[in-house]
Amino acid sequence: MTEPAAGSIYDLGYRRYEGARAGRRRAIWALYADSLRGAFGLGRGTAAKIAPAILIGLALIPAVVQLAIGVLVPADVELITHDDYYNLVKFLLGLYCAVIAPDMVGRDQRNRSLVLYFARAISRLDYAVGKYAAMWTAMLVITLVPQLLLFVGNALSTDDFGGYLGQSWDQLLPIVATAALGAALIASIGLAIAAQTPRRAFATVGIIVTFVFTLALAGVMVGELTTEVTRLAIFASPFNLVEGFSAWMFRVPPSDPDSLLLAAGYPLAPYAAVAVAVTLLGVGLLIRRYQRVEA
Amino acid sequence: MTWLIVSLTLRQLLGQRRTWLLVLLALAPVLIAVIFRLTTDGVRDPREFVADGVMSNVMINLVLPLAALIFGTAALGQEFEDGTAPYLFAKPLARWRIAVAKVLAAWMGTAGVVGASVLATGVIALVGGTMDLIVPAFMVAAVLGALAYAALFVCLSVLFERALVIGLIYVFVWEALITSLAPGAAYLSVRAYTLGVARALADTPATIFSAQLGGAASFGALALVVLLTLGYAIRRLGSLEIARRA
Repeated sequence: MTEPAAGSIYDLGYRRYEGARAGRRRAIWALYADSLRGAFGLGRGTAAKIAPAILIGLALIPAVVQLAIGVLVPADVELITHDDYYNLVKFLLGLYCAVIAPDMVGRDQRNRSLVLYFARAISRLDYAVGKYAAMWTAMLVITLVPQLLLFVGNALSTDDFGGYLGQSWDQLLPIVATAALGAALIASIGLAIAAQTPRRAFATVGIIVTFVFTLALAGVMVGELTTEVTRLAIFASPFNLVEGFSAWMFRVPPSDPDSLLLAAGYPLAPYAAVAVAVTLLGVGLLIRRYQRVEA
Repeated sequence: MTWLIVSLTLRQLLGQRRTWLLVLLALAPVLIAVIFRLTTDGVRDPREFVADGVMSNVMINLVLPLAALIFGTAALGQEFEDGTAPYLFAKPLARWRIAVAKVLAAWMGTAGVVGASVLATGVIALVGGTMDLIVPAFMVAAVLGALAYAALFVCLSVLFERALVIGLIYVFVWEALITSLAPGAAYLSVRAYTLGVARALADTPATIFSAQLGGAASFGALALVVLLTLGYAIRRLGSLEIARRA
């Protein structure tokens, strides 16, 4: 302890931090990890855990059913295929995004803690990137995990487990690719909207309206009106984009007569291109928002 | 005093930014109707397009529940959120009046937005051709459905802090996902009752538009939903201690 300077009344015992400083990269990592935990309500109260848990559970049901069939009935049944899995769970993806995205970026704005982040090692860009990475990982949990489980379930439901793996290993690449791109797309749209407002209710409603509303609009514009111009509306709907690039990556052209992809009649590769473009746009909007937001 | 709460709540609900989101949402079917009018090929029956394509799939399935959800959970929920609930509950006013006023306000907001949208959409898409009773039928159905949804969502906001998320799960998981996989679930969904009412009143051939439930059953079920949810909301609100949640 140094001698208290003359004139000071108390020695408050302030000390300098002498240890190692972990630096910027570690700060981004901490933000990422903490945001990801928060997405599932870990480290928060029970109320924050319920909704994500329910939605992840619901998304797992098709895969679990397939797994159960595979274990109980040793026959070749493939009830749910990878390429139409997203079609089945699209509402769950949208809801999950609408539940976790507002918490992920809204709390810091609501509690005015952005100023604390930006005053230290994390820059505005780092913050946006860290939050986006966390959101993307959280979305992967609900896109990739059920798909992998489904893969195992399908493998178990054939008579020849090893034979199925040998025959279907080429499915793994599209499984990972669709999950990664789907998660990236939905996460970018969700965060770009949620970051605009500190209020949770606004953000949730905004995200839901965006997803569901574009889906309904595409349904009418493509399925009912079927003109050259209105058919383009299918590219404005994120869920239809996911459906489109899944069909492209799994190389399964749409066959269901009700399918909007069939009604629109476009080649499938553009869906992936538009999805990438929308993702980049969403991330760009997110970064721009954090360049300007009042900390 | 009840009407004062109704008008205050309405003013609060309509003067918000998220109301613009709703107006945007309600304009979508109108936009679709305009595009339909501009591009129609004369081959399809416009009645089928309006009743099945727009009114049922977009209006009743989407615009109505979302509007009711936003107004219904905000009408009372926002008093808790903003911390104004103690002032409201400390007034010498029976709790049931507060519940009824909140449901009324949510209902009026929802019915106003959705009803206007139904009217504009139907008139734009159908005027000049055979209209049957499609527009008035869907108007009545939307207004009655709005009451049931409003009561349901106000009840949710009494019970849960995060009523919005729970309501969203009800609308999109139960009414949209589960009823499409297991049609029997429609017997427990406000959407099916609303469509049943529309079908009973519309007086169109079943090839144009059909519903799962009959007319009388739908009216009865809607009334039951309103009575049960409002009753439960009043009961819970009556025993709510101000200090606990506010």
